[in-house]
Amino acid sequence: MHFIFSNEVVLLFDFWNVHSPAGMALSVLVVLFLAVLYESIKVGKAKLLHQAVVSVSILSSQQLTEETDQDSSASDSAPVSRARLRWFLCHFGQSLIHVVQVVIGYFMMLAVMSYNTWIFFGVILGSAVGYYLAYPLLSMV
Amino acid sequence: MADNSTTVPPHHHHHPTTSAHHSHGGGMDGMMMSMTFYFGFKNVELLFSGLVINTAGEMAGAFVAVFLLAMFYEGLKIARESLLRKSQVSIRYNSMPVPGPNGTILMETHKTVGQQMLSFPHLLQTVLHIIQVVISYFLMLIFMTYNGYLCIAVAAGAGTGYFLFSWKKAVVVDITEHCH
Repeated sequence: MHFIFSNEVVLLFDFWNVHSPAGMALSVLVVLFLAVLYESIKVGKAKLLHQAVVSVSILSSQQLTEETDQDSSASDSAPVSRARLRWFLCHFGQSLIHVVQVVIGYFMMLAVMSYNTWIFFGVILGSAVGYYLAYPLLSMV
Repeated sequence: MADNSTTVPPHHHHHPTTSAHHSHGGGMDGMMMSMTFYFGFKNVELLFSGLVINTAGEMAGAFVAVFLLAMFYEGLKIARESLLRKSQVSIRYNSMPVPGPNGTILMETHKTVGQQMLSFPHLLQTVLHIIQVVISYFLMLIFMTYNGYLCIAVAAGAGTGYFLFSWKKAVVVDITEHCH
């Protein structure tokens, strides 16, 4: 098995059957977009985590200060559970995003496995463009 | 369609079909591997030569096993990270005198964080790294069977493992360290 330059490929699904140069160009663009999406999801997950940590810590500290102003005999389970519920939702959303990231990563691996050189270039270029666009956003808080 | 011919003789029976387009299941003449996603449980070869799935019950068992393997992989990643952070508690400072601008001597302090090569934490990290690499290749090969059930098992196991094991880790993570 080796890399070939070809205008014909079957990519991932039965219906994704490419015969012509126009179809191949479109497929390369789709694969490129997938790779950009993959890199941006990696950055997005880290930023979401940061936002979640910051927001939950702000929320819990606000609720604790409210609680100390009020009657101290009341149990503090309500504000703590609200913060914990919010944290649970954030983490659940993060896990879903993680599943999407894993699936897209595997799809890109399978696309490269088609051994079509144009598709391979699309994956590489998409990764480069995605990294270039997304990683500076990581340091912007 | 580009031909992916292999020289390994197929283990499964030859189906007497003469059509050249893709069909469900793995019974293509001359094609060992399916190159598109399919849902089926007949004659699915999984990683090793003796491991062939033929019935729905076996596919269910394989689904559970792949699910647990993907969960274990995510847990191993998190465990390695926390082990690394714990073992890097030792920070060494060493000061050395350097000549200053006016002939004075300044003390320059270097700080090194890390592990020694032959220390036990580093050896443990290496062993865990090898296990992680092997499992990640196994998961890649499982996904490469293009079997829809097994691919869903990989994705769901990864998500569940991330959800369960990153729960505690997410609270103490250092935001400035990115990338997995």
